[in-house]
Amino acid sequence: MTGESDTVGSAVVLAGGKSSRMGRPKAMLPFGEEPLVALVVRGLAAVFPDVVVVAAPGQELPELPATLVRDEVAYQGPVGGIRYGLEACRSAAAFVTSCDVPFLDLSLVSHLAARLPDHDVVVPHWEGRLQPLHAVYRRSVLPLLERQLQRGELRPVFLYDKVRTLTLAEDEVRALDPDGWSFFNMNTPEDYERALARWRETPASAPGGGAGRCEVELFGVARLRARTGRVSVELPREATLAHVWSALALKLPALVGPVLTETADGLTAGHVCNLNGRDFVRDGSRRVAPGDRVLLMSSDAGG
Amino acid sequence: MHGFHGRFLHVDLDSGRPQWRETGEERLRGFVGGIGLGTSLLYEFAPPGVEPLAPENPLVFASAPLAGTGLTTTAKYAVVTKSPLTGFIADSLSSSFFALAIKAAGLDALVVTGRAARPVYLLVHDGAAELRDARHLWGKSAAEAESTVRAELEGAAVRVAAVGPAGENLVRFATISNEGRHAGRGGVGAVMGSKNLKAVALCGNQCVETADPEGVATAAAALRQRSLGPHTAKYREVGTVANLAVFDRLGALPARNFQQPTFDAADELSGESLTETSFSRRNGCASCTIRCERLFKASSGGEQRMEYETLFALGPLCGLEDREAVLEAARLCDGYGLDSISTGGTLAWAMECAERGLLPEAGGLRFGAAEAVLDAIPAIAERRGVGDLLADGSRRAALALGHDSLDWAMQVKGLELPGYEPRSLKTMALGLAVSPRGACHNRSGAYEADFSGKVDRLDSAPPRGALVAASEDFAAALDSLIVCKFLRNCFQDFYAEAADLLAKVTGWDYGAAELRLAAERIHTLKRRFNEREGWQPEDDALPPRVLTESLATGVARGTRLTRDELRDMLRDYYDAREWDEDGRVSEAKLKKLGLSA
Repeated sequence: MTGESDTVGSAVVLAGGKSSRMGRPKAMLPFGEEPLVALVVRGLAAVFPDVVVVAAPGQELPELPATLVRDEVAYQGPVGGIRYGLEACRSAAAFVTSCDVPFLDLSLVSHLAARLPDHDVVVPHWEGRLQPLHAVYRRSVLPLLERQLQRGELRPVFLYDKVRTLTLAEDEVRALDPDGWSFFNMNTPEDYERALARWRETPASAPGGGAGRCEVELFGVARLRARTGRVSVELPREATLAHVWSALALKLPALVGPVLTETADGLTAGHVCNLNGRDFVRDGSRRVAPGDRVLLMSSDAGG
Repeated sequence: MHGFHGRFLHVDLDSGRPQWRETGEERLRGFVGGIGLGTSLLYEFAPPGVEPLAPENPLVFASAPLAGTGLTTTAKYAVVTKSPLTGFIADSLSSSFFALAIKAAGLDALVVTGRAARPVYLLVHDGAAELRDARHLWGKSAAEAESTVRAELEGAAVRVAAVGPAGENLVRFATISNEGRHAGRGGVGAVMGSKNLKAVALCGNQCVETADPEGVATAAAALRQRSLGPHTAKYREVGTVANLAVFDRLGALPARNFQQPTFDAADELSGESLTETSFSRRNGCASCTIRCERLFKASSGGEQRMEYETLFALGPLCGLEDREAVLEAARLCDGYGLDSISTGGTLAWAMECAERGLLPEAGGLRFGAAEAVLDAIPAIAERRGVGDLLADGSRRAALALGHDSLDWAMQVKGLELPGYEPRSLKTMALGLAVSPRGACHNRSGAYEADFSGKVDRLDSAPPRGALVAASEDFAAALDSLIVCKFLRNCFQDFYAEAADLLAKVTGWDYGAAELRLAAERIHTLKRRFNEREGWQPEDDALPPRVLTESLATGVARGTRLTRDELRDMLRDYYDAREWDEDGRVSEAKLKKLGLSA
């Protein structure tokens, strides 16, 4: 036990990229009636109490429910952005993303956060590459990022060898986001058109887009540990019980260990879920629909 | 002999003469200990057709091979007799230091028959037995009697099991208690009271050696470790009171005499709420790492132990919403020595009678009438007024009152139902119908199948029979070894591991197959005892309300359990048991189990 806090209570959105191939600032690309950065921030704010947006000096942004910080030195690449973002966070660790990701999967984000204990960085693999702008970082890596910037090492991967980095295998990612839409970012007008087309077709898949919510009712150990009997969870489209667990782990970290497994992808041996008072389930692939009631209880019934 | 003393004590209260008898290795191998040993001794000592409250009905206290070995949760003992509530077997468990004292006093079991001419208590001290005057203890609660006897025997590490006023007054659901715990169901306390036996006091230093002390110590360490894992978290962190809120949510919490399976004040009475607002302390039996017992603060300033069954029976079942009243009602039951389930069940029956205008002498007994409940409990224990009728339990009271009131007497074989709604837990429904001691949630855990997702709990489709039979046998093994059922999910391969423990303790070459067979033998002998005492196929039944009314509220609203469904489940069960189609144990089965005459 290190005694360090494993709470991932912040999200950092890097909005100050160059957008050179797009021809206009990516942060302000309209999605419905709001610019993309607002869509992303709104989704993350549903899960994280603290959202930080890192923008370039003088960059135009809409009103956002977030703390706004500006790169002091523009164009230092992602490492600079991560550094300014982490510095402004109020939590011990943050989920870091760019602003051009319209299809963030909050369950996957929650899953990354739940994997933080005993690590400094949690970064997923997708299509053979690490995804540093879809990763969780502890604030304690700040001094190392400073030194990287001084040395001109502008790629986040240089950090990973120096700290306790957990790289998530692609299979683990696919379990929550089978097609990897979380990692779809936009660099060209064609990318934007494609994203808009998918977004119009299935707006619920965007963060905060609202596939709907389910209510989780907690009983016994779960209720006493979480200090609440009920919590509402945002569901992605085609949500499963595993999505619910990941979201729970983020909202109620006290459940991780006693009720949810350390990796938040399952229930501990003594627990079971019940859907709508009918079916008892422990299988994370079981579908959960908006409006469902998920009861989280001891599997040792009776007595 | 390892693990046992090889002898038991028979005390005849008529003559006052103690007699030592050999337990016999064959009996021990065949019936293990605890409930099994007690059943075997009951079968031998009870004259067929004996009146439960007659002197001839034996009262058996049975120890078990694992008691005193240091294995977690094994400080338990069984009390077995013919029940004055059901007329069939009563086999109850209690626990803690008295269980260890049975072993330390040099006994495998104690069989008490006869009736003392005046109140006595039995003292067994290092193998010497004597009857002592207990007139000064008569009228005291079990706890008071226990502390008085212990004070009188100053210097001796004596442990005492006693009856309270309810046992003295032959309330048919009186308990025997020790250290605040009760052998609760079936009226074993009334049998003890009928013998003018106020208490049993035991002490001694007679160790029982185990065959493989090192092996036992290693197993004990492993089991202790597992007992602190996730499977017992509910019991360690909340206690059995955790059941109430979740049962309510699942439409399985019987309320207002089983007129609805949910309760409006469930959250107020829930174990979670009690823990958050009124937690006083956690307690445990001797030799137990789980320590499930919870005491809650009462506004009067005291504290009261609370378990789910007591909470359900004195709360929702009687329509009581006020947790202070429920805590006080529980305190009264403990003090007088009353089974809280049967107390609540009988009161709920009386409340419904009163609301239908059938029991004018019931005073203010109505659903939710806390004061009336608090008045009625002492009246039952002292057999005063309407309490005299209620002291015989809901079935006898209904038969005495008439007016179809048996239709809402929520009992099986005379034993009031525990807090599991049969219509929304259909495996449990079958378990309740066939249990030898009546509506019982302990001698099988049939509800586990319903709560596991293995079956659709609202549907009665097969194979329910095999599930119930397996659960009963599992319980028979646990209750005979004895291992607390809260440890039940801490085993990976229960029969193999438990047989191995038994082998290490006794030195016997004992395997999983022999333990399985013993478990089935124990359960079958209980059934056989009941047949001998007059069991008929119609005794495997459920109350008419369960079979005629659909559930009125909650997620299972509208669910029914028809007579045809129950009939089919019974057939499935008898088939799984390889009994006759009307539920009688077949000769072939008796032969296979070595139980033929």
